[in-house]
Amino acid sequence: KEKCYKLSLDLKQSTNGHVEALEILLLGLCGVPKENLRVHELCLKSGPNLGSEASEIRILCDLMQPEPAWTVRHVGGADQISVLVRTMVESKASKHVLRLFYLLGYKLDHELLRVGFAFHFQRGAQITVTVSSYSRLLKLHATDDDNVPVTPGIQMVEVTAPASAENYTEVAAAVSSFCEYLAPLLHLSKPGVSTGVVPTAAAAAASLMSFSGSTNIRHSEV
Amino acid sequence: MPIKWYNFYGRVLHWQPNAGHTVNSQILAEVSQCVESINGVKEGKWKATLSFYRPLLKDQSNAAEFPRDFLGISLPEQPNKYYFVLRGHRLVVEADSTIQTIMEKLQSYKTRVALNFEGFQYQLGDFQLRVGKVVSIQSESLRGIVMEMEYKPSSSWEKSHKIMGEFFDIWQEALSKRQLPGHFVHMEPNFGEYGLSGQYTLQHTAVQYATLMLQMIATAQSVRN
Repeated sequence: KEKCYKLSLDLKQSTNGHVEALEILLLGLCGVPKENLRVHELCLKSGPNLGSEASEIRILCDLMQPEPAWTVRHVGGADQISVLVRTMVESKASKHVLRLFYLLGYKLDHELLRVGFAFHFQRGAQITVTVSSYSRLLKLHATDDDNVPVTPGIQMVEVTAPASAENYTEVAAAVSSFCEYLAPLLHLSKPGVSTGVVPTAAAAAASLMSFSGSTNIRHSEV
Repeated sequence: MPIKWYNFYGRVLHWQPNAGHTVNSQILAEVSQCVESINGVKEGKWKATLSFYRPLLKDQSNAAEFPRDFLGISLPEQPNKYYFVLRGHRLVVEADSTIQTIMEKLQSYKTRVALNFEGFQYQLGDFQLRVGKVVSIQSESLRGIVMEMEYKPSSSWEKSHKIMGEFFDIWQEALSKRQLPGHFVHMEPNFGEYGLSGQYTLQHTAVQYATLMLQMIATAQSVRN
């Protein structure tokens, strides 16, 4: 069971205007170019008779690949270490995985489209930072339509790192300490709880933008 | 008919005892000796596993809504992969082995009766042979004998299919001299029904093990009857 867990921190960022500043900050911290992200998330819930308790599973389809690439993701509850750190288990899967879960008794609860960018780098752990906006699909599987943003004007920043039972504590510490760098721009918030603008955000963003020496960086729309 | 290309082409066989006979470790020993007698070179051990998944239901009266043939299979070639087969729906999924952890966390399905397929593998020219016993993890009793034949070189389906057939005939002839109370059976599933392409993969192997499972159950039931 090497590295089967992922630790995930959700941060919420104020206004799209600060995305550019965040991108500059992340580029500086990570030292690698960003990758664009476009993922269709199908959130399934167990039917009423299945299991003693209801369960949820997410089937992700990476739309950036030439062929749809599927991942199954299970997100755990709040961690013992921190209420903000959650355990995820992921598995790549071949193309019939969605049909498999439907046949096992899972139903589609809602669908999300996640668009943004990601940085992958090493800093005490193999860390991935994604900055994305989520929108809820209004029509079945309609990833190309205009959809409803889940948190309008607010980007989700997710920090994840793979961990095993042995190094879990170290990885959690590395993820938490990395997040401190993002504190001027972002709020660590409990999943599902919306926070307002971070008081320091505007000043931090302004300072980052001027320091970069470039005023024309655009957050590229995918 | 289009030409199909395979990296290797595999066939899974299981031992069908004659009426009134059962499988035993003596037969397994004879089969292994037979492989060596046709110059099979022993390479090492192999192991595959098969698990049944059953739904955890609040109300058993709805059980018919849920699949009764949900199997999980691990194969020796890819220890970091896991295969799910729903035979009735002709469905096969290849996933990372972490999918087993996900299933545990979901708590919607539990693994019941699990089987190990284990034994030795042999090299024979362009072929790899695996001979194995089928053992129930619960009772450690011998439930059956399987063989896997793999034709290693890349080649067209037509060429490898013919060579596999010839090799199988040589094997059956060698084994028949030992006059064992049974024979090896192969039932080729319709891979197209599973959405599998002409290129042979471990998903094809997983489907063969799932099909074999059904045959073994049928054999065991007919023995009981």
